[in-house]
Amino acid sequence: MWIENVLGAADAVFQLKNMLLMTIGVLAGLIAGAIPGFTITMAVVLTLPFTFALSPIEGLSTMIGVFVGGLSGGLMSGVLTGIPGTPSSVATTFDGFPMARNGRPGLALGIGVWSSFAGGVISAIMLMSLAPQLAKIGLEFGPNDYVSLVLFALTITASLAGEQLLKGMIAGLMGLLLATIGEDSVNGIERLSFGMEFLESGFAFLPVLVGLFAFSQLMSDVANRDEARGRLMDAGAKSVRVEHLAAIREIIRNWAHLVRSSLIGAFTGILPAAGGSISNILAYDQAKKADKNPEKFGTGVPAGIIASESANNATAGGALITMMALGIPGDIVTAVMLGALLIHDVVPSPSFIGDQPKLAYGIFIAFFFANFLMLAVQSVALRGFLLVTKARMYALASVILCFCAIGVFALHNSTFDIWTLFIFGILGYGMRLLGFPLAPMILGVVLGPIAEVWLNRAVSSDSDPTLYFTRPWSLFFILIACFSIAFPWYQKAKKAGKGWADYFIPGLCAVLSIPLFMMEGTVRPIVAGALILVAIWIIVKQRKAAG
Amino acid sequence: MAGLNRDALTAIVLLIVEAVFLQQTFQIREMSFATMGADVWPRAILIPLILCTLGYLAQSLRRGPDVVASENAEAGETVADGNWLYRYRNVFFCYGLFLAFLLTLDFFGMLIGGILFVFLALTAMGGASPRALALHALIAVVAVGAMWSIFTFALRVILPEGVILSTW
Repeated sequence: MWIENVLGAADAVFQLKNMLLMTIGVLAGLIAGAIPGFTITMAVVLTLPFTFALSPIEGLSTMIGVFVGGLSGGLMSGVLTGIPGTPSSVATTFDGFPMARNGRPGLALGIGVWSSFAGGVISAIMLMSLAPQLAKIGLEFGPNDYVSLVLFALTITASLAGEQLLKGMIAGLMGLLLATIGEDSVNGIERLSFGMEFLESGFAFLPVLVGLFAFSQLMSDVANRDEARGRLMDAGAKSVRVEHLAAIREIIRNWAHLVRSSLIGAFTGILPAAGGSISNILAYDQAKKADKNPEKFGTGVPAGIIASESANNATAGGALITMMALGIPGDIVTAVMLGALLIHDVVPSPSFIGDQPKLAYGIFIAFFFANFLMLAVQSVALRGFLLVTKARMYALASVILCFCAIGVFALHNSTFDIWTLFIFGILGYGMRLLGFPLAPMILGVVLGPIAEVWLNRAVSSDSDPTLYFTRPWSLFFILIACFSIAFPWYQKAKKAGKGWADYFIPGLCAVLSIPLFMMEGTVRPIVAGALILVAIWIIVKQRKAAG
Repeated sequence: MAGLNRDALTAIVLLIVEAVFLQQTFQIREMSFATMGADVWPRAILIPLILCTLGYLAQSLRRGPDVVASENAEAGETVADGNWLYRYRNVFFCYGLFLAFLLTLDFFGMLIGGILFVFLALTAMGGASPRALALHALIAVVAVGAMWSIFTFALRVILPEGVILSTW
């Protein structure tokens, strides 16, 4: 049965048309990643309109190609010019650029390309092995647990806004509110349409997403007249020969950094809303701490590039694990993929892998294969990407704006969708100017209808609100949600050296052990006991250090 | 209002919008068979949203007026001077042209309207020298023509034809 599904999925993925689409996707992702100011999310969002006419597996394979390509594309501009193409490759510049300036740009690129590949493959293996297991845990979730999970996903996204926590929370709640406009997803009752006919069916997901994210991003990119007219990158567009063999040798020599960083990347991806922009910095920091010569970091050491590039590519696999196993997007890119699945009437949930095995295994295989495609395309067409960065932002923005209009129209053949794009384009740009993060709002729009359906089921089965605190998984998510809200204060307190900050992490471990103790079986109570021991160990260690 | 900072003004506008939405939740039709009314979820969102916005307002008011705004006022620069309009002129051009593109879509259609929009946006942001005009026209025709062809012939999407093309 399992083999049948894998073979069936492989057959769909390795169709000539699908492979061609994936290659185009990887190429588009690499180009988008190489252009500073052009994010991976924007590239994936712009791919969405093309997927309507494709089958679910073709559409998702193409988007996965863009995702994987985009994560690797940022390294080229980062290494050659010191300007990261995407936030996911910020840490790559710390050692990649100095290495290139020291006369080894080919080696720096080679290490980046092969580390991206290895990180992607490691996370693909994790995706294939962990997603079905996590989905089994997800099958234990009841409606109350799901409502709490959505709450957790939204709070953690908002908490990533750091000091702007309130703005993050407001953005997330506004996203949820926007999703309520139009027909109620359970009973089909019209609401919040203000008597306007065009609002009766609500806003479509795609124009809202493209408007909020892509349109507003383009406006930010062209806001400065001089920068908009200048070339995206003037330096570094020379031909560079990638030193593949030397790079592989360096990676083998630094295998511990590779494995650690890939694991950091994958686990960061599993956390809702935490993406490659966080994982590359986190992995770089850990690599520096673990290395025998931390003082050399920043001068052009291979370990720095390996840590950053393997972590950011591994994040993609982690984000897909959460989406496929729980139906909760791991980041904005997987939120867009979730939207693409919904357009094809496929609803990801813990039963997704069991209900749609061919599609699920197809996603696994496509992700695995996309890493090989990325390696091949990046090695062959490096010079071409560098030429693209010679373009001017105002030219790209004008063309892409028109493409956005055509793309969103194609969804329902409706001019109203272009108006939606325009309105949300203004709203998104206004939010950027006022310092509101867009990620919580987009997750709110995606998760809103899902949360309402689960809340309705929870109320229908048992309206007792204490269930949210007596069911172990629900309590688990509520507790993490509380800690994630407090996280920005913890960071501030830690910097200020306040005493209570020392008890935050031990407190989190101790508190999380409560729902784990409440769970059945033997493994989870043992994990709970281990968490308490970790909490005690951290406190003792801190006391010793202080005393 | 002069003593309010940008965040406080934003919070006040948000509170007004939220109040309108809250009022609208009382207009939602009730269904006797539904276990959870259609008004419950929007209200469950609006209540914490209003609380967060009040927190945001309080935070903004504690901070006092914007320093930059008052410095500008002292220097005799006001919003009426149109500095911000000049600073964001590219953004205003784009939004204005996009609005014009939308309003004339039924007449020009997606192909001609798209070409005109891209050409005018390029020229507004990139300059209007004879060489630039020729380049912008080429980019507009090739890029929009290619996109229009992909959606029309490959993806079989019927894009708005417009009066000109349909008559012709």
